[in-house]
Amino acid sequence: MQGGSSGIGYGLKYQARCISDVKADTDHTSFLTGTLSLKEENEVHLLRLSSGGTELICEGLFSHPNEIWDLSSCPFDQRIFSTVFSTGESYGAAIWQIPELYGQLNSPQLERIAALDAHVGKINCVLWWSSGRHDKLVSIDEENIFLWSLDCSNKNAQVQSKQSSGMLHYLSGGAWDPHDVNAVAATCESSVQFWDLRSMGKTNSIEHAHVRNVDYDTKKKHLLVTAADESGIHLWDLRMLKAPIQELPGHTHWTWAVCCNPEYDGFILSAGTDSTVNLWLVSTSNHDELPSESLVESPNQRANSLLNSYSDYEDSVYGLAWSSREPWIFASLSYDGRVVVESVKPFLSRK
Amino acid sequence: MSGDEVPLDEKARRMRDLLSSFYGPDPSMSPNPPSKFAPLDAINSNSFNADHYLNLLIHKSSLEGLLQRHVGMAAEIKNLDTDLQMLVYENYNKFISATDAIKRMNSNIMGMESNMEQLLEKIKTVQSRSDGVNTSLFEKREHIEKLHLTRNLLRKVQGKLFSDSESIQARAEAAMLLKQLDFPVDSLKEKLFEKLEQSLGDLQLKDEDISRCLLMSNDPSKLENHPESVAATVHEASVQEFVEAVRAYRVIFPDSDKQLIKLAQELVTKNFETGEQYGKKRIRAADLLAVLRMIWKEVLLMDEVLHESVLSEFSLEAVQITVKHHVASRFSHLLHDISDALTKVYVGQKEGMEEFPLQVALGASKKAVLQGSMDILLDFRQLLDDDLELLVKLRESILNWVQEGFQDFFRELHGRFLLLSGRNNSSGQVHGVVEGTQGDRILASLVLVLAQLSVFIEQTAIQRITEEIAASFAGGGIRLYENGPAFVPGEICRSFRSAGEKLLHHYINLRNQRISVLLRKRFTTPNWVKHKEPREVHMFVDLLLQELEAIKKEVKQVLPQGLLRRHQRNDSNGSTNSSRSNPLREGKLSRTNTQKARSQLLETHLAKLFKQKVEIFTKVECTQESVITTIVKFSLKSLQEFVRHQTFNRSGFQQIQLDIQYLRTPLKEAAEDEAAIDFLLDEVSVAAAERCLDPIPLEQPILDKLIQAKLTKSLSQSAVSS
Repeated sequence: MQGGSSGIGYGLKYQARCISDVKADTDHTSFLTGTLSLKEENEVHLLRLSSGGTELICEGLFSHPNEIWDLSSCPFDQRIFSTVFSTGESYGAAIWQIPELYGQLNSPQLERIAALDAHVGKINCVLWWSSGRHDKLVSIDEENIFLWSLDCSNKNAQVQSKQSSGMLHYLSGGAWDPHDVNAVAATCESSVQFWDLRSMGKTNSIEHAHVRNVDYDTKKKHLLVTAADESGIHLWDLRMLKAPIQELPGHTHWTWAVCCNPEYDGFILSAGTDSTVNLWLVSTSNHDELPSESLVESPNQRANSLLNSYSDYEDSVYGLAWSSREPWIFASLSYDGRVVVESVKPFLSRK
Repeated sequence: MSGDEVPLDEKARRMRDLLSSFYGPDPSMSPNPPSKFAPLDAINSNSFNADHYLNLLIHKSSLEGLLQRHVGMAAEIKNLDTDLQMLVYENYNKFISATDAIKRMNSNIMGMESNMEQLLEKIKTVQSRSDGVNTSLFEKREHIEKLHLTRNLLRKVQGKLFSDSESIQARAEAAMLLKQLDFPVDSLKEKLFEKLEQSLGDLQLKDEDISRCLLMSNDPSKLENHPESVAATVHEASVQEFVEAVRAYRVIFPDSDKQLIKLAQELVTKNFETGEQYGKKRIRAADLLAVLRMIWKEVLLMDEVLHESVLSEFSLEAVQITVKHHVASRFSHLLHDISDALTKVYVGQKEGMEEFPLQVALGASKKAVLQGSMDILLDFRQLLDDDLELLVKLRESILNWVQEGFQDFFRELHGRFLLLSGRNNSSGQVHGVVEGTQGDRILASLVLVLAQLSVFIEQTAIQRITEEIAASFAGGGIRLYENGPAFVPGEICRSFRSAGEKLLHHYINLRNQRISVLLRKRFTTPNWVKHKEPREVHMFVDLLLQELEAIKKEVKQVLPQGLLRRHQRNDSNGSTNSSRSNPLREGKLSRTNTQKARSQLLETHLAKLFKQKVEIFTKVECTQESVITTIVKFSLKSLQEFVRHQTFNRSGFQQIQLDIQYLRTPLKEAAEDEAAIDFLLDEVSVAAAERCLDPIPLEQPILDKLIQAKLTKSLSQSAVSS
């Protein structure tokens, strides 16, 4: 499709996997991204969209000790973010603070507020609760879920509770329900598990294999979107976990990441290893629709739900983030370190 | 002594005996017959021997006893004497009263005779009077007898009228007779009508009638000409009868038309209903025609009698419904046939009996689609060509129905395809039903068959059907085009084309899921950072190749060959040079790999920039090669993604290098697009190098040695297994 021309590009020095919207920055549309290089010195880039929306400006460049596997910005403080990193042999997770006067320094150092150092195995992600100021953090490694209590001012993070995911359940990622401060969805090989953080116990699960990424809809309660390797994107109603309420074909190869728009209902982004980003529009209003019906629906309808396919990438796209300040803008990051910011404004009218 | 103990009894008995001896005709009848040793109480018997008795008594008893006995006996004698006196007196009394009675009788009889004479006279006068009456009433009596006879006759006729054993016709005649006799028949009318109604039940077409009729019509050797007419005779005869009955009834009760018409319509409706039911079954149009013809004949017969009943128009409507339902049912049967043929994929694979189950299933379902449609068309053509008056009128409607039918049929078939491919999948996933690998495999092959079947329908079947329809079902009147033509081959083609593509993608997806599972296991299990030095090619390679082999086998059964590949094959058949030169080229490549691995990332980026961008995700075509190539590409891409997610030490990297090197030849043989496969394999190597802490590749000789070892091993294994 024609999507490529409108994108604003920015090149990182090395390969990269993760990009995050800086939600707390209400004055600018900015994104944080970090590189993934085993042997080189890794960097965290703070990118800002110029006021005209035509250019991506590197607002800050900070060196990061290890390759970054996961990065997310603190939703209430634009200077704080978390990373999951790997030395190649072992994993670590930490909370960082961007130094205050970084504009004036030549090579500003990130200040480490806290190390989430209770993990043993491979760490998957660190989650912030996106809907407000909350002093808790969730981190997920292959076998455990940790709930941390973070004290930014005292630069201190402590494990509040921890629970093993159980035998033979290797976790791979997760998402924090923006509607419920106690609910976290964690993906593992054969299912999506729902955790209650008060009891640190599993409350429910979706038996669906190989889910790669999950995202809660911030607007619609009870709506969860999952992306699985081969079988595409599924929309679930959290009250009816037996069958998805809708399916989208996903990508030609694996569907890696999926993101619900924070503002516009039904706009879903997905990124895939076929080097494309797809923009979908789904109508989630009729929840009662039976899954069998959605399977038999005419091919035209299905094709219609795909609004656009952005294919101007050279490599697999792993990073994907909507801007919460300008919700028609999203940033995507392909493995070769290329950040592309696109606007979906032309498609908003379709709704 | 016994005599003392029962003195009263003794006495009474003796009295009785005495009396009986007095009145009794024969003294021998006495209860005590004479005996030599008569007991002491035998004193009353005739044979009483006083001396004997006395001797006995003297001998037996003491003196005192004898004295007692003497006293007793004296008392007895005294008693007996008084008794006797009493008896005599009583008898005397009776005699006196008898003489008195005789005297009175004598006096009464006098004067009877005169009364008797008077009576005789009176009787004589009575007789003469009755004679007179008799003669005067004789004539009238004869008349009455005659009337009685007539009445009996009438009763018989009436009986005939209401008896079920008699034919309707006979009853009608009887009724007519009664009418002529001015017999009051109004109540009969209703009864007769009821009977007629009842007889309808017998007249209705039954399944046996139909089957009998069909049996005969299908077996023309038995009946030379007009098989249907002869076959239907049984039924026709009864219809004839009914018609006669109706006619007669009408003559008798001329005001009953309405009722009769209603009756006839009822019969026709019911017959058509039966016909309709029959039409819904699996039958050929010819059979339906025969049945319809039979019914039509009846209708005509009835129409003769009841002109006013507009039976023909009425039955036209009925036939319309029947034929419409028939058309619809034929299509639904066809749909069913096709699903059946398809589900044989499951059965065939589960039993594993046939060598090429998919090929067979595909062939069968292809045949089901094409042959089935053609059969249907042929049948419907028969309906059209028939000169049955009813059907001629319906020609246009039939044309319409057939076209609509095909349109709906294909729409439904399309839905069914998607359902077959999708539902199993989602239900398996959603409900967590672990179907196992076998189930997955079968589903995948079913999807593949469905995909190819869709292509077949799009490219061949629709065309044939369109031609056929154009040839014999063209027209259909102006009415058709007001709503647009009913049968739109273009639309169906489009939907099946997209279905075919979608199913093909679905197949590839399913297959890739299996491969992904395999690769995931391979890459998540070992600790790559602490990998040991590679000793041999890892066995996942074998599994991967096996999987590809299985896919190849499936695909070869179902999909057609692409043109491109054939050329290549011809080329390579001609010269073995190309395969011999392969190692050289690969050596070069791996050397470039080595360089790449050593070089900086920037360099690889540059290299990528200058390399012609290889299209990995090209459009899949419905050919063997295209599908296999796509699957190989996808699995290599998955491999690359898995590699990118790990971190390797030197040995781990070398293991990947070795595995990739080994895969290179068989994968390139399997897939069509060698450049793309090379590119992807290189990408995997690059990814592994990038994710390696210390990317020093294996030396070429070691690499060659290990691969050679693996080759010989797998060769010997295949030799053993075969």
